[in-house]
Amino acid sequence: MKLSLIAHSPNIEAMIATSMLTTTSGVLPSTIYNRIKANPEKVHEVVGRIEVQHGNILEHNRLVWRLDATREEVLGILLRSKFFDITDVGDGAWALSCDLRTIVEYHQEKKDEFSELLVESIKDVTPQIYSYIRRTGK
Amino acid sequence: MNVQLLTFIPLSCLEEVFPSIGIEELLPHLSYTFAIEKISRVSSHQLVRHRVASFSQQSQRYIRMKRLRERVVVPPSINDNEEFYSLIQHSSEAYQKLVDLDVPKEDARFVLPNAAETSLLLTMDGRSMIHFLGLRTCNRAQWEIRMLGDSMLEQLREVESRIFNKAGPYCFRLGYCPEGKFTCGHMKEVLEMYSL
Repeated sequence: MKLSLIAHSPNIEAMIATSMLTTTSGVLPSTIYNRIKANPEKVHEVVGRIEVQHGNILEHNRLVWRLDATREEVLGILLRSKFFDITDVGDGAWALSCDLRTIVEYHQEKKDEFSELLVESIKDVTPQIYSYIRRTGK
Repeated sequence: MNVQLLTFIPLSCLEEVFPSIGIEELLPHLSYTFAIEKISRVSSHQLVRHRVASFSQQSQRYIRMKRLRERVVVPPSINDNEEFYSLIQHSSEAYQKLVDLDVPKEDARFVLPNAAETSLLLTMDGRSMIHFLGLRTCNRAQWEIRMLGDSMLEQLREVESRIFNKAGPYCFRLGYCPEGKFTCGHMKEVLEMYSL
């Protein structure tokens, strides 16, 4: 099995921070986003307070991979989580996508090869969530 | 109402890697996040019925409602009706009194009206977005969410014309009205409005 991240929503952690502040601050979400995406330190501070029990803050994004896997392996993924979208692109390759919440919750439930590949693939695009997963083991 | 497309995954990013896959099959892998601001709670209730979407909405549990009279959406059919503004005023006063009596905001909000403004983030995949626009830009949709749908469609057509130039109310996409006896009867005008 091989997993390569090919596309993702921009500024994922800035959007997580925007989502967190939208629900509680009273400031308009576009104002929050346009301010905070230019302020990495603030994003770091806000996302650092994250508790993933309220998973919807992790849903305002999407990540897309090319997955090389057998049909049996893909069936196994689909049976373990209903939140992945998978398209057969031929020659044993698949387009696979989901949001960050799906990755976090899949990793909380399953510690298999696919789970590890998923988590490693987000290391650069959402480093704080990656650290959270590695730090907490969740 | 303010609507702003904040982020999306461009179709071209996926086409580069999967050149033999058609747009329809790539739609579930695309994603669009909007800031939707100053809509009524009426509209946000309609929005969250679209279950294949993600929402982060301003919480009335945590955010105190101030100056309610300035923060309501007024339907054009109500316009200057004094009954409406009288009730908003009473609601506002009752809310402030309850909060001043240390009633938690999560309980005081029970007296707030559906007209109260709210703002939220909305994220949908491409396939769900086209379905949403099919339903909510239809003449049968309520005026406020139809305005919202039209604004979203306009912005989506600007950034992803190959996908969204064909999107719009279902009659525009299908060539016939699927509303049956509830049809608005103005399909010709609707097709003209959404054609480019």
